[in-house]
Amino acid sequence: MRPVHLPSSLAELWDLMAAHPGAALLAGGSDLLVRLRQGLGDPPALIGLERIVELGRVQAQEPGWLFLGAMATHSLLLEHPLVREHLPILRQALAVLGSPLIRNQGTLGGNLCTASPAGDTLAPLYALEAQVEVRSASASRRLGMGDFILGPGRTALKPGEVLYGVWVPQQPAWSIAHFEKVGRRQALAIAVVSLAALIARDESGLVTRARLAWGSVGPTVLRVPAAEEALLGRPLDDASLQAAAQLARQALSPIDDGRASAAYRRQVAGNLLLRLARRGS
Amino acid sequence: MTTREPPLEIGRPPRLDAAAKASGAEKFACDHYPPGVLWAGVKRAGLPHARLRGLDLAAARALPGVVAVLTATDVPGVNRQGVVLKDQPVLVADKARYVGDALALVLASDQETLARALRLIRADLEPLPGVFDPEEALKPGAPLVHEERPQGNLLLEGRVVTGQGAAALEDCPVVVEASYDLPRQEHAYLETENGWAQRGEDGRVTIVVSTQTPFRDRAEVAEVLGLEPGQVRIVAPYAGGAFGGKDGITVQSLLGLAALHAGGRPVKMWLEREESLLASSKRHPARLHYRLGADQEGRLQALAMRAVYDTGPYDHLGGAVLTLGLEHAAGPYRIAHVDLHGLAVYTNNPLSGAFRGFGVPQVAAAMEQAMDLLAGRLGLDPLELRRRNALRRGDINPVGVTLTGSTGLAACLEEVAAHRLWRGGQAWRKEAPPGRRRGLGLAAVMHGLGYGPIIPDVANAKIELTAEGVFRVYCGVVDMGQGNAGTCLQLAGMVLGQDLAGLELVLPDTDRTLPSGSASASRTTYVFANALLPAATALKERLLARGADAMFAASPAEMVLLPGRLKHLPSGRELDLKRLASLLDPAERTASHRYRAPVVPERPSPDPALQLHGLPHGVFSYAVHLARVEVDELTGLVRVCDYLVAADCGQVLNPQIWEQQMQGGVAQGLGYALLEDFPAPEGLPQCRDLSTYLIPTSLDLPEIKCLAVPTWEQSGPLGLKGCGEIGIDGPLPAVGNALAQALGRHLVEAPFTPERVLAALNQTEPSAS
Ligand SMILES: Cc1cc2nc3c(=O)[nH]c(=O)nc-3n(C[C@H](O)[C@H](O)[C@H](O)COP(=O)(O)OP(=O)(O)OC[C@H]3O[C@@H](n4cnc5c(N)ncnc54)[C@H](O)[C@@H]3O)c2cc1C
Repeated sequence: MRPVHLPSSLAELWDLMAAHPGAALLAGGSDLLVRLRQGLGDPPALIGLERIVELGRVQAQEPGWLFLGAMATHSLLLEHPLVREHLPILRQALAVLGSPLIRNQGTLGGNLCTASPAGDTLAPLYALEAQVEVRSASASRRLGMGDFILGPGRTALKPGEVLYGVWVPQQPAWSIAHFEKVGRRQALAIAVVSLAALIARDESGLVTRARLAWGSVGPTVLRVPAAEEALLGRPLDDASLQAAAQLARQALSPIDDGRASAAYRRQVAGNLLLRLARRGS
Repeated sequence: MTTREPPLEIGRPPRLDAAAKASGAEKFACDHYPPGVLWAGVKRAGLPHARLRGLDLAAARALPGVVAVLTATDVPGVNRQGVVLKDQPVLVADKARYVGDALALVLASDQETLARALRLIRADLEPLPGVFDPEEALKPGAPLVHEERPQGNLLLEGRVVTGQGAAALEDCPVVVEASYDLPRQEHAYLETENGWAQRGEDGRVTIVVSTQTPFRDRAEVAEVLGLEPGQVRIVAPYAGGAFGGKDGITVQSLLGLAALHAGGRPVKMWLEREESLLASSKRHPARLHYRLGADQEGRLQALAMRAVYDTGPYDHLGGAVLTLGLEHAAGPYRIAHVDLHGLAVYTNNPLSGAFRGFGVPQVAAAMEQAMDLLAGRLGLDPLELRRRNALRRGDINPVGVTLTGSTGLAACLEEVAAHRLWRGGQAWRKEAPPGRRRGLGLAAVMHGLGYGPIIPDVANAKIELTAEGVFRVYCGVVDMGQGNAGTCLQLAGMVLGQDLAGLELVLPDTDRTLPSGSASASRTTYVFANALLPAATALKERLLARGADAMFAASPAEMVLLPGRLKHLPSGRELDLKRLASLLDPAERTASHRYRAPVVPERPSPDPALQLHGLPHGVFSYAVHLARVEVDELTGLVRVCDYLVAADCGQVLNPQIWEQQMQGGVAQGLGYALLEDFPAPEGLPQCRDLSTYLIPTSLDLPEIKCLAVPTWEQSGPLGLKGCGEIGIDGPLPAVGNALAQALGRHLVEAPFTPERVLAALNQTEPSAS
């Protein structure tokens, strides 16, 4: 039997973490418990975060920033008025994450700390240029997504640190905010490829800004600057999107696994851009 | 008298088992935790083919909490099991033939100790070259799965030739040819294999288990344990799904063996999902080659087909699965000349066995897609092609059996032809949004019922009026979720004029109910109700007569049974059933009836092996499936937008249960068509849990419309046939044909994954839109 500790404040959390080195942090458990069942890791204790109220907050706290606490569940975020108003692209991803049960149980922080390239909230947060806040007993630091997530299952968290929450900067007006996930089925499906795209256009329909982030086609979520730049100053038509898609396919590094081949992922990763012509028209 | 509900009626919902299951009150085998229970589990081989040189059990035995560690030498009886061929060891004595073979059985005080003990067992396994491709397995020099067999790796070869056989293809003006690959499919029932067992002071062993076959289990377990069948009792609660995966021994023999070493304590064994996936049987992967010929008018003339079924390491009903496949290989059509050739082959791949459809989904996939190839070649509407060839009553079917029973295929075709989903199909295709393609596909299928000519297809029903005045219905066939137990109550209630309160159900228990065969082969209600109705009628007549005597009535015809009572109609006087029961001798209060299903007198094949394995059948259900699919050109994702199945399963006793059987079969069939595969290169399964072995979710399924097109089957109880499997035979070819229409080319490898669909799209012209 493995003890489970349930601190109700950050102060208690720091004490427990100091007292139980090697303990695993338990958010919703929808990744952690699966891993433990598979025999991956054998932490001496679990420290549950669910009673620490401040980790579950969602608010417009600092001017220009939205704060999403690490312990906010996917369901909470999906229904939250601030997310609904400001982060439609994140909502699109949350809506297809897992199933209602998984969304009730799983948290944003857990999704980030698992650091899977298929984590559904990641690509939107890369595109939104969000930052994460990491805290320890003595300090707090903010990192960009790319600096926090280092590789599959690897983050910049150091012993004694927890993910406190995510800061999303106020967004310029996007004409298109689009997320699409390709899975093997309609629910409870791990992404085979996903794309988060934020596009701004001027009155004549020419692209002024573009951010494109792909999931499941590399060791981490990937932005492809070459593809983004290829769209600038052009209309969002098949020709420009095909050109960007080609650049993206060259830049991405998908793998073969049980869900799909690298070749399929590469082709579809580019194809997903072509959907924008239909959404934008 | 308390107010009572009206007597139960046939032809109406609801499911009588639903409330207890939905509320959690129903106890499945896995819900039992008897006090003091020990846990049993097995060490599995993990290698597909290996000689067992030794087992180091010392560390496991030394672990505190371990009660016993048993091996093949501890099996007191015959260390072999199987339904037709006994070729599977309970515990491996010499070599492992697939990854899931059991090497040693551990009994421990709790689950954690059990898991630790199993990890401590060291198996000295010498890997042997394996055989993983059934075609390779047939070649001389291939590694042998069972060295002692003179036929090598061939489990069963069957051939049915009628007319001029394949030679008739030469005279056909139009011939199409194709090969198809069908995947291995997992049953994925909610309740994994489990049970608990205990040895009584009298030495009898009782096993409560999730099974489809309690009476057969009793015989098999007794043989393994070296006991008389009467010393073994099998109790079969409602099963949480089975689909053929519990048609035969899963944990029963191991539990029985464990019970012998538990010192009288109860022992429980329950496979984890991962272990169930690894060790349980699957639908046979199959490779099929078809040549189908017709005349210019689209009348089918000849079919030559060859099917190779990968049966894995053991027979496990593989011969019977192949034989049913052969019998259905030419579909529900008139074809005068056929050459049907099938082989079931041993390999070191995962175990294949019974699975809803039982060999038919594979051949239906090939035949029905070949039919659409033919329609394309002839320029004929696919429905019209099927209409021209559909079997009618009195026809001789492709294997040479005269159809004497009800044959409603033509009516199913007309129902679909008239349905808006079919009539509006072409308009719907044209409305495909940009970047999407749409297609419609049909499949016409038939499914034989029962065991065939040799194995007696028997049920024995028993009903008792208890001393309390309640009718106790002894149901001898397992209800694994189909709802047949509730239907038994409905039938008894109808005949005996009782409401639910006047009835009591006894689920299969070899000590209490009578042998009635397996819950399988679309036979369950057909055979059992054919025994139950006469039993209920006999008891009713006896009660009416004895009641008439007691009430000085002129004749039993003046009496009627109503809930809880007997009524004398002319006077309105009533006699409580409890009172009536007290007037009767216990022997008079019970009636039983044995029924054996009729056997086809024709022998289409002289081969005794094919007859033993079930050829031929005489009663068939029919269905026409229609799928409307939409393909996304950017991703190859397939959405089944609409689904329609029109089915002739004879009369429908409970429309809700009938529809659930259809919808469940179609859902499982759509999984087979689009998602499910259990690859095992070199015999090593790649899917270890349900996050990688994907079955459809509710969001992946369309609304499944089910139209009953009931005929009256004269041999059936109240005109009923079987409806358990016809739903799963059609979805794969219906979707395949719909995709072929959408893509402009046929896919020959299933499941039809987005990747395969996109590859096909890459080879076709972009759509005009
Ligand atoms: C059936 C099923 C379906 C799923 N489907 C999807 C899907 O469609 N898309 C998808 O993206 N994911 C999916 N997942 C994965 C999972 O649900 C999500 O990643 C979820 O967001 C994880 O959150 P959690 O709160 O459950 O994390 P946990 O399992 O509690 O934690 C995950 C990891 O993060 C660490 N951790 C958690 N919070 C913190 C913190 N604040 N600070 C530091 N470390 C922390 C934990 O120690 C652990 O290592 C699925 C999982 C299951 C079981």
